[in-house]
Amino acid sequence: MLLDFVLPAHDRKLIPEGRLTGQMPWVIAIMLFLTLLVAAGGLTLTEAARQGGQDLARQVTVQIIESDPAQRAAQHAAITRALRNMDSIAEVKPVPDAQVRALLEPWLGTGVIDAAVPVPALVDVRFGSVPTTETLTRLQSTLRSVAPDIRVDSHSSWMAPFFELMRALVWLAAVVFLLLLVATSAVVILAVRSTLNTHRETIEIMHMMGGTDIQAARLFQRRVALDALLGGVVGFIVAAVVIITVGDRFAAVEPGLLSGAHFPYYGWAILALIPLAVMALAMLMARMTVISALKRIL
Amino acid sequence: MNSLCPVMPFVPFIAPMQSVVEFDNVGLRYGTGVETLTDLSFTLYPGSFYFLTGASGAGKTSLLKLLYLAHRPSRGAIRMFGHDAITLPRDRLPGFRRRIGVVFQDFRLVPHLSTFDNIALPLRIAGIQEKDLRGPVTEMLAWIGLTERADARPATLSGGEQQRIAIARAVIGRPEMLVADEPTGNVDPEMARRLLQLFAALNKLGTTVVVATHDIHLLQEVEGAQMMRLDKGRLSDPTGSLRHPPRPLVLKN
Repeated sequence: MLLDFVLPAHDRKLIPEGRLTGQMPWVIAIMLFLTLLVAAGGLTLTEAARQGGQDLARQVTVQIIESDPAQRAAQHAAITRALRNMDSIAEVKPVPDAQVRALLEPWLGTGVIDAAVPVPALVDVRFGSVPTTETLTRLQSTLRSVAPDIRVDSHSSWMAPFFELMRALVWLAAVVFLLLLVATSAVVILAVRSTLNTHRETIEIMHMMGGTDIQAARLFQRRVALDALLGGVVGFIVAAVVIITVGDRFAAVEPGLLSGAHFPYYGWAILALIPLAVMALAMLMARMTVISALKRIL
Repeated sequence: MNSLCPVMPFVPFIAPMQSVVEFDNVGLRYGTGVETLTDLSFTLYPGSFYFLTGASGAGKTSLLKLLYLAHRPSRGAIRMFGHDAITLPRDRLPGFRRRIGVVFQDFRLVPHLSTFDNIALPLRIAGIQEKDLRGPVTEMLAWIGLTERADARPATLSGGEQQRIAIARAVIGRPEMLVADEPTGNVDPEMARRLLQLFAALNKLGTTVVVATHDIHLLQEVEGAQMMRLDKGRLSDPTGSLRHPPRPLVLKN
């Protein structure tokens, strides 16, 4: 079908250039721009959910909830040592007391901490691979033999709603992406029908002279392909500028929940394929529309 | 000008005296209205020449539409080139239509194509290479006297010139059957005679010609031509000479 894109010059004259061109490439450019943005958003969210999910699933925080500061410090050091001796753990990072206080001060105020509120000591732990529930239970019981008042918090448990939201957004992006493709197809079908009506006389003359439906369809396919290609290139360029600009803004955001949210490099290959896929889809729609319409003519 | 047929060569593939067209009790009705054509039964033979006459609204154009496969009849049977045209699958229609040349009453030229491209259209549709069609189209342009207007669009041409292009387009592919609806209605008597000579020359080479006309003088131009007369959708002599092989054709000088 894509080979039908190439037509001899005299065949191209049968339906004058400029009939389908005009508004069509710009409409397709807008549709493509939106489609590419949605695709880029979906890919970014997918990548962020994948990376963030993997990182967070490997991280736990051990809290030492001991009210006596001296004992808490001793247990903090003992827990840290015990964790560093475990093979399955890749990184142990005791959180300095000053950092914990700094985290709480905006809510509790200065001077109150230590005097009135016992602040737990924290150790951030990163496993080499995603720990199972049994691993975490075993870790907790092992650490309780060192310090009875500890709690192991898996990051994945409190971040689960966030990643569920991200996965839902990825699905939403996929649905919007498909809807945009359907809308683009509808635009193509309407444009082809309109052009077919404009040139009905020419097509009927071709028919009466023994022209086949495929010959007529090829005339429309070529014009639709050119419009889709032109619209695709414009839509891709504008979308690429937006993606790069927004990507730079994301990169400037401090590490945190959005740290994994960057547009993956392989995404550019996928985005580049979308205009080509839309062109092929537009040609297919044009072919089907013309052949279906011509079947109503004897 | 002796060579009256600057047209593409073709290989005849109808056996002698095998009918080109057979109508058997054919009726045609548009929508739910009354029948436009009623109980038509006739046979057209290869190499025969027919004038189709009748008053306006008698059904001449409708009959021609059945002949060039633009419509299927509401009832009856039609055989064309030895095949049942009623049950002919749609995808085989183009092949049959390429064997029929049509001159439409309203010319039906493609408005944005030049004279040359309009005449070349059937050959291009049939897949003839550009190098092979340039010669016949140029010769045809010369024959209809429009060489100088080869690049002109139909809108810039007179009715007579457009009619000549329509006829040139219909005969350029050397059809086995030529169907013409009032082909000389817009041309002067001399050009009308020349066009009839072209039809007669094609006819001598085996093309079956059906010309619908009001002009009874034309009937006298081609000796041996047979007449089909339509009156309110009925053929006035459906079982007469039309059922018999045609007499030898002689063009009057």
